[in-house]
Amino acid sequence: MPGEELTHFAVDYARSKGASYAEARHEYQIGEQMILKNGVLDALNFWEDSGIGVRILAGGGLAFSSTNRLNKSDVRGAVDSAIRKAKGAARRDPISFVKEETVVTNWSVPEKVKIIDVPTDQKIGDLVEVDKALVDLKLKMPARMFVMAHNRIRKVFVNSEGSEIKSYSPRIRLYYYLTVTGEGDAEQTYRNLGWSGGWEALDELKVMDKVIEEAKSLQATLEKGKKSPEGKMDLVVGSQVSGIASHESCGHPTEADRILGRESSQAGKSFITPEMMGKRVGSEVVNVVDDPTLANAIAYYAYDDEGVKARRRYLYKDGLINEFLHNRETAAKLGTRSNGAARATNYDREAIVRMANTFVEPKDWEFEEMLEGVKSGVYMKSFMEWNIDDKRWNGKYVGREAYLIENGEVKYPVRKTVLEVTTPAFWSAVDAVGKDLEFEAGFCGKSDPTQALDAAFGGPTMRLRNIALR
Amino acid sequence: MEDLANKIVKKAVDLGCEDAVADVYETDSFQIRFSQNQIDITNSWRERAASLFIVRLKRVVMTDIRDLSKIGDAVGKVVKIAKASQENTEYGGIAKGPFRYSPLRVDKRIISLRDGSDFVYSAVNAALAEGAKETAGSFFRNDQTHYLATSNGVEAKDRRANLYLSIRALTGPESSGHGIECATHFSRFKPEKAGEKAGQIAAMAKDPKRGEAGKFDVIFEPLFLGSMADQMAIRDSAFAVMAGLSPFGKKIGKRVASNAVTIYDDATADGRGRKRFDAEGVPSRKTTIIHNGILKTHLHNTSTAKIFKTKTTANAGLVGPDPLQVVVKPGDWKKDELFEECRDGVYVTNTWYTRYQNFTTGDFSTIPRDGIFRVKKGEIVGTWKDVRLTDNLLHLWHNVKALSKETHEVEWWGEVAVPSFVPYALATKIGFTRSAE
Repeated sequence: MPGEELTHFAVDYARSKGASYAEARHEYQIGEQMILKNGVLDALNFWEDSGIGVRILAGGGLAFSSTNRLNKSDVRGAVDSAIRKAKGAARRDPISFVKEETVVTNWSVPEKVKIIDVPTDQKIGDLVEVDKALVDLKLKMPARMFVMAHNRIRKVFVNSEGSEIKSYSPRIRLYYYLTVTGEGDAEQTYRNLGWSGGWEALDELKVMDKVIEEAKSLQATLEKGKKSPEGKMDLVVGSQVSGIASHESCGHPTEADRILGRESSQAGKSFITPEMMGKRVGSEVVNVVDDPTLANAIAYYAYDDEGVKARRRYLYKDGLINEFLHNRETAAKLGTRSNGAARATNYDREAIVRMANTFVEPKDWEFEEMLEGVKSGVYMKSFMEWNIDDKRWNGKYVGREAYLIENGEVKYPVRKTVLEVTTPAFWSAVDAVGKDLEFEAGFCGKSDPTQALDAAFGGPTMRLRNIALR
Repeated sequence: MEDLANKIVKKAVDLGCEDAVADVYETDSFQIRFSQNQIDITNSWRERAASLFIVRLKRVVMTDIRDLSKIGDAVGKVVKIAKASQENTEYGGIAKGPFRYSPLRVDKRIISLRDGSDFVYSAVNAALAEGAKETAGSFFRNDQTHYLATSNGVEAKDRRANLYLSIRALTGPESSGHGIECATHFSRFKPEKAGEKAGQIAAMAKDPKRGEAGKFDVIFEPLFLGSMADQMAIRDSAFAVMAGLSPFGKKIGKRVASNAVTIYDDATADGRGRKRFDAEGVPSRKTTIIHNGILKTHLHNTSTAKIFKTKTTANAGLVGPDPLQVVVKPGDWKKDELFEECRDGVYVTNTWYTRYQNFTTGDFSTIPRDGIFRVKKGEIVGTWKDVRLTDNLLHLWHNVKALSKETHEVEWWGEVAVPSFVPYALATKIGFTRSAE
C-alpha cells in the first residue's frame, strides 16, 4: 500500500526527535455516494483519499499532525510540527497513555458480494429500483431523497511500542427522507441503514421492504392518525426508540472524555461523574451495551485506532452504571485500562473516545406479552424529532409511527406523541425487554472539528410503566 | 497551482465533458484544543488536493483528486465513472465567465502565526478572572488558498485566512457560559473578550433552578440567534426546498418573519465566511433572503436557478446551493432596552441539538445550554436549567419584536455552522417545555 512504509518512518523519526510515544495511521479510502432526489440522480460523488496522521507525546504534551503529501519530507514536517507543539503545551500535569498490549495483526471484514465487483450503473440501478417501487405506491409524495454511499477503508496503524495493525473495512450506508402529504397536512420520515460488508447489504438490510413499509405507514398516520393521549400511562417503544435512547442517554454520558471535561466546549459533559460508578440509573432489567465486534454492524472493528483490541462493554448493567468508554488517555487518568473505544473518521483526525454499536441487550419478552399488560397506553414504534441536553439528562423523542394501546391491543395511529423525560426516569420505568433486536445506523457527532462517525443504535421492544406523555 | 486547475479542466474537456470545474486548494492550518484550563492537544493539517466537478452527457460526477501528480489518471477515472452514471435531467449548467472579483484581502500576520497558545491562555485567564473554575474550547488558525478554473472561462484565486476561538467557562457543574471570538485581521483578534463573556455568563448562572414550561418572551444572545438564523438560511437553499427539507416551499413573496427581520447572505462582508466567489466562480454578492419579514428568494446555483426560472444568487456549493455568510440586519434598539421591554421572559445565551419533527412545517425543538436566565420587568431574577425551546421556526421569526444595534460575528461547532453576523433579539410568546421526572 502506498504510504505504508511512511508509518514506520514517521514513528522512528518522531522517537529520534524526542517523542516519548509516537503512532502513525495511514488510511486509504475509496468510495462512491449517490444522491437521488425525486427520482433524479443529482450527482454521483466518487472519492479516493489517502494520507497519514501522526500523534505524539513529547514534554508532557500531546499533538497530532496530518498530511496527504505522502513523501518523507512532508511527513518529517508533520512530525516536527507535532513535536514542537506538544512541547509548547506547557501543561501542569503531563498527559500519559495507559500501557496496553503490543499487537501485530491483520483483520478484515468479509464481503459476500464484493463492492468492487458491482458496477456503478448496477449500484445506481438498485437505488432507482427502490425509488420506483415507492412511486408505484401512488402516494402523494412531493419530496423523496435517498443518499446511498459505500466506502472501503484500508488502514495501517504503527506505534512506537511495536504494534502494527493492518485492516480492511468495507461499509455501505443508505439514508433517506420521505414526505407524504394530504389535505393540507404532511408527515415526514428520516431513516438510516448501515452495514459492514459487501453489496449483499441491500438484501440483508431488507431495504426495499423497509422503505415501502415506511411510506405506507406515513400514509396511514396521515389518514387515520388521531391526537395522542396525554398524561401518565404505559409506553411500549420499538427498537428505533430503545436504540436512540441507548446511544443518547447511555452511550454518550459514559464516554470518559466527556466525564473528564475534554469535550465540554462542544459535545458537552455528562451527568455522570467518576464517583458514580455503580450507581443506579435504571431498573434491574436494563442492560445497555456497546459492542464494536458485532458482525456486519456499521461500526464493526476488531482493533481501535490506538491498536487496542475491541470488546463488548456493559455500560449500564442491571440498571447500574457499570463501565465507561475509554481510550488510552482517559484510562490513564481514571486508573483503568482502555476498552478499545478510540476512533477517528479518517487519517486527518485524532482518535478520541467513541461509541460503536450501542444497544439494549435483549431479554425474553414477546411483543404480545408486553401489550397484554397495558390497559391504556401508546406504542411508539419510531421517532422523528429527538434531542438531548449536553449533560445527557433531558431527552426528547417525538413519535413518527405510534399507536394507541387499549386493553392489550394496538388500536389506531396517533400523531406526534411526545416523550420528554430525564435519563433516570426513562430507564427506571422499563419493566419488560423483548427478545427482538434491530439496528439502525446514524452519524454520531463529536470532537472539534466535528467527526461525524458511523454508529449503530439498536435494541428490542421495551415496555415502560406509568410515564408522562404529551 | 493556477496552471494545475486549468490543466484539470482542459483534460476533462478533452475527454468529452461539457462542463468542468476544478478547485485546487492548499491548506496550512492548526488548532489547539483545551480543557480544565490547559492545552489537551494541538492538531495541524497540511493538505494539497483538488475538487473536481464534471458533467458528461448531463451525468454529474464529483470527486477529490488527492494525488496531484496523477491528474490524467484521476480525470480519466472520473470520466469513466460518468459514463456509468445516469442523466441528471434537472442539470442546468454552470455560470459563464470570466468574472471580475473584489481585491484579495489577507492579513499576513495571520498567515505567519505559528503558535496560538498565548491566545488560549489569554482567554482562559480572562474567564478565570470572572470567577470561572473550569474552561474548555478551541483555537483555530485557518489558512486556505483556492485556485478555481472552469470550462466556462472562469479563472479565480482566493485565500481565506482567519483566527477563531471558542471558550466555555464553568463556575460549577451546572453553571456555564460560552464566548466566541472571530477575526480576519490579527490586530482585531481579542480572545480575552470571549473568555470574559464566557466567564461573566457562567458567574451569573449560579444555582440554576428547574425552569418552567409555557410561553415566554425571549431575549436571544447573538450566539443563540445565530443558530436560528442559520436554520433560516440553510433551509432557504433551493436544494432543501426541493428535497422537502424546508418550510419555505411556495413562500416566495410571502411573510415568513416579522417586519423587524431582514436577513442576507453576504460573503462579501469582512468575516470568516468571506469568499471572493462561489463553487462555480460566480463573484460573491449580498443577497437579500428576507426583507422586512417577506421571503425574497431561495439560494441558488446556476442549475437550481433555471428550475426556479431565476438567476443564480452566487451560492453554488458542491451538491446544491449553500449559504456562505449569514447577516441579520441590526435593529435600532440598545441591548438594555430589549431587557427593559421584556416584562415576563427568559434570556437565553446558547443552544444546541436543533431537530425537526417536520421540515416542511418548521416544527422543531432546540435545547438552550449555558446561562438561561429568568427575566421579570426587565431584570434578571433567577437562573434556569433543564428546559427546551419547543416551537416552530417561522413562528419564532414571526414573533421577533426588536433587534439590537449591536451585532456580533458568531460561528460555533455544528449549531452556527455558517459564519454569521447577528444582533440580540427580543421575541414574544416562545414555547418552552421540560422533562417529566
